[in-house]
Amino acid sequence: MLRAALRSLLQHKLRLSLTLLAVVVGVAFVAGTYIFTDSLKRSFDALFEAPQPDVIVTVDAPDFGGGGPDAAPRETPTLPQSYIADVAAVDGVAAAYGLVSGDGAIVIDSDGMVVGAAGPPARGTTWIPDEAISPLTLVDGRGPQGPDEVALLESTAEAAGVEVGGRVRLETNGGSVEPLVVGVVTRGVSGSDGSTLAVFDLPTAQRLLLDSEPVVTGIQVRADEGVSQDVLAQRITAALPEDVRVQTGQQRSADIAERLEEAFQFINTFLLAFAFIALFVAVFLIYNTFSMLIAQRTRELALLRAVGASRGQVRRSVLLEALVLGILAAGIGLVGGVLVSRGLTLLLRAFGADLPSGPLVLEPRTVMVSLVVGVVVTLVSAYVPARRAAVVPPVAAMRDEVSLPNRSLWVRTGLGAVLLVVAVLTARAGLASVDDGERAASLAGVSALAALVAVIALAPVAGRGVLWVLGAPFSGSVVGRLARENGRRNPRRTAATASALAIGLALMTTIGVIAASTKASVATVIDDTIGADFVVFGAKFQPFVPDVYQAVKDTPGTAAVTFVRQVPITVDEEQSVLTGVEVAAFPLVVDFEMQSGSFADMALGDAVVDDATAETLGLEVGDRVEGTFVNGEAPLRLIGVYTAAGPYVGFVTGINTLSSIGSRELDSAVYVRVADGADPATVRTDLEAELAAFPAVELQDQASLKEQVNGQFDRVFGFIYALLALAVVVAFIGIVNTLALSVHERRREVGLLRAVGTSRPQVRRMVVLEAVLISVFGAALGVALGVVYGALLQRVLEPQGITELAIPTGQIWMFLALAVVGGLLAALWPAITASRLDVLRAIATE
Amino acid sequence: MTPAARATSLTKVYGSGDTRVTALDAVDCEIAAGRFTAIMGPSGSGKSTLMHCLAGLDSVTSGQVWIGDTELSTLSDKALTRLRRDSVGFVFQAFNLVPTLTALENITLPLDIAGRRPDRGWLDTVVDTVGLRDRLGHRPSELSGGQQQRVACARALASRPTIVFADEPTGNLDSRSGAEVLGFLRRSVDEFGQTIVMVTHDPGAASYSDRVLFLADGRIVDEMASPTADSVLERMKAFEAARA
Repeated sequence: MLRAALRSLLQHKLRLSLTLLAVVVGVAFVAGTYIFTDSLKRSFDALFEAPQPDVIVTVDAPDFGGGGPDAAPRETPTLPQSYIADVAAVDGVAAAYGLVSGDGAIVIDSDGMVVGAAGPPARGTTWIPDEAISPLTLVDGRGPQGPDEVALLESTAEAAGVEVGGRVRLETNGGSVEPLVVGVVTRGVSGSDGSTLAVFDLPTAQRLLLDSEPVVTGIQVRADEGVSQDVLAQRITAALPEDVRVQTGQQRSADIAERLEEAFQFINTFLLAFAFIALFVAVFLIYNTFSMLIAQRTRELALLRAVGASRGQVRRSVLLEALVLGILAAGIGLVGGVLVSRGLTLLLRAFGADLPSGPLVLEPRTVMVSLVVGVVVTLVSAYVPARRAAVVPPVAAMRDEVSLPNRSLWVRTGLGAVLLVVAVLTARAGLASVDDGERAASLAGVSALAALVAVIALAPVAGRGVLWVLGAPFSGSVVGRLARENGRRNPRRTAATASALAIGLALMTTIGVIAASTKASVATVIDDTIGADFVVFGAKFQPFVPDVYQAVKDTPGTAAVTFVRQVPITVDEEQSVLTGVEVAAFPLVVDFEMQSGSFADMALGDAVVDDATAETLGLEVGDRVEGTFVNGEAPLRLIGVYTAAGPYVGFVTGINTLSSIGSRELDSAVYVRVADGADPATVRTDLEAELAAFPAVELQDQASLKEQVNGQFDRVFGFIYALLALAVVVAFIGIVNTLALSVHERRREVGLLRAVGTSRPQVRRMVVLEAVLISVFGAALGVALGVVYGALLQRVLEPQGITELAIPTGQIWMFLALAVVGGLLAALWPAITASRLDVLRAIATE
Repeated sequence: MTPAARATSLTKVYGSGDTRVTALDAVDCEIAAGRFTAIMGPSGSGKSTLMHCLAGLDSVTSGQVWIGDTELSTLSDKALTRLRRDSVGFVFQAFNLVPTLTALENITLPLDIAGRRPDRGWLDTVVDTVGLRDRLGHRPSELSGGQQQRVACARALASRPTIVFADEPTGNLDSRSGAEVLGFLRRSVDEFGQTIVMVTHDPGAASYSDRVLFLADGRIVDEMASPTADSVLERMKAFEAARA
């Protein structure tokens, strides 16, 4: 039987190669994902090979904030500088260095533009003049010394276009400076996440990054020869007060490794999800191909049965074919994985991430997973066709016209109907429990899955009707009628082909609806909350010096100008943010809705809080709130609750209260209202001129804010589209395959049509039209499913801020147009094959 | 009167070198218009090849073929397709009908392809002659073998072609259905003046024709007018004897 199976594979190599391609694409995606993340991981190994301090002393408190643009501002807790001497005095310490490290050193290039991506931070740190423990290595020049020197990270220097000996402009928390670049350093990892790094000596770092008392964010220690890290850590712990954290270098490495591992795991899972979507689509393709090959080989299989092969043998021979195909596909897929991994790198680069480059890593695990995935997927898809092959009766070999009995669709349709009911019920249950986010999300997920399976199950029955309607405009001509009937004559096959496309497009449409809804929601939030005509924000979401506020206030034509200042606050272990505003001006520029209490009554020590936070913390008006800040604690008296809206969350207080707590003199935003009678365009030009001196801030109006936010969403969603595109490509390969097999199966019919006078263009039109009908059917299913579940998801995500539902009609039409074009392209080769069929050979009886 | 079809020095060679087979060897023949001509011969005699070449389904190696006044060897595929559509009717041994179309749609297929309106009166005449009026809405799978062949015959006649070619039209039928089909072909010649060429190896079928051409080894070796089943059978036996 092995020989029979192999021979049959070879005989149908063209059609099988298309099936192979589908598995290969899926496996390559899986293998590529693993190769990509493994290689990325390996490229970070250099981080751990670089020297590191033996012991690190930091404040025993978590980093405040820093979770992303919407989260609280980043601020690092500090230690008194006197601790350095205390640490240095510990027995076994060879050297102890103060470290100041944090955000707030924005690099400006020679064109006055901010270097690096919009999101990632602009960091500054301290040069440790000790090669043995400095994680930074010089690649050029020397370490910075004194107030007028800086060293830059290699990627930062490249992006800024400066070299050793030049000067670079830095917008820091301590003001604008232009120090001499004396060195270029590396962390051992190439590429960058869009963040930048400037390195100073300790006093300069303190002045520029902290703009405050002689404090440090950490102390880095080198141990004496022969003193272990653990022992030294214990001694240092004993020598310092309790509120510090003492970590060995090894512990820190392990922590970083763990964090990286988590990040990679996330990337891996994220990408694998898309790989499995592509594979799932490939299952339909393989199933279809095997079904059709078996239908064509009925006679041959019957002959095998007639000469004594058992059902099991026939079934096994088909499965053996699938096995060989699976192994072959897995092998090629593995090679393809290398390409996919390169492709993912390029894709991520195109979407703005500068990944470190390193050698490709092929772990044995990758090989195993690829093989198993390729073989299992192929075997599972071929199982049903194989079982059907086994029931071919031996007598079929003797019959002239043979066809496998068309089994009833009742069971399948019934199952589909039940699942559809399940989908509707779970969707309703999900909608009813929108307030319980997790429950609603999982119900929506179950509903989506049930609906997807229901649609696949119902597609054969629905397909006959839908194709009849879709084909109606073409039914005037016999070619159109033939195309339509060809699509309808084998509902299962058409359904499987269309379903494959439906899956990909359903996901794309869901994403499209969510993307459009998110953008619409953001636009609404901006409209509803920002009453200001202009807003000044810091680049990279970093706060900026108060000079900006002064510059704006001095610009003629501005009426209400206010700044806000933000510090991270922790209340009952919940992280939040405390925003300080000018009580009188703030309501003029921000649409603020108080639910209780009066904002205008705000006195020193008072604060208001948003309704969501109030509920989480169980706070009421009049309560005393114990707030924990970066360097201390302070109470606040709650005088009101406001409605959380968009960017305004957490506690809001007066600037005087914030200053009394001891916040940095740095602003998060400046709001501007144009004076009555002043021309906004003129004010804008004047503001731009005034702000030219501050390259690290951006002047925004509502339109540009929306544009900026939309641009960020477009990048994220664009990346997801690109990943889903692969599944759609597999689906179109499926259409090619189905059509090629159908044409082969119907070659006598095509021959007959040609004999009675059908022209080649007519035959081509017939095949192309069939393809387009199937593909539009699949696209329509997918888009419908996608719109429904996009809308459902929007409702579920409403508490998360996606308050508006927007259906991207233009995009949906584009998907349908894509289906038409894709169908046309997919039909090209089968159509040409069909039109070139030798009439005589096609109609010959034997 | 111009013959409906004719061939001069028609030669058809398949393959080359060792596998070279001469299927037709300088055949000259004329198919008289309004007559029922049968082509007979043993397997491999070239009778099907002759029909395919006459019908414009196959190219010729050398020589010339006319249908009416049109010489085929110079025609492009496009022109040949149009000729088949407008001037030729076909009835094959099996697989004559498009399974997705109804009987009526199959009958009007060549007209529909051409975008021509069928002549209602003629269509009714043809449908009534083959006796399928009550089966017109059925798909081929719902028709018996004999009914399917009658639909094929109706299709061949529907466009009033210059000539109808039938390739073993009764080969797959039981004798009663076969007789019906042959009777219908005969009537279309007698009543409508249709020209028909039929390839067969069944002397009984040949007896329905006006004239039989006998083919052997790629040549026309004999012909017989007003054949009967017995006379044809006898002639065939004579050839077999001569070849042996």
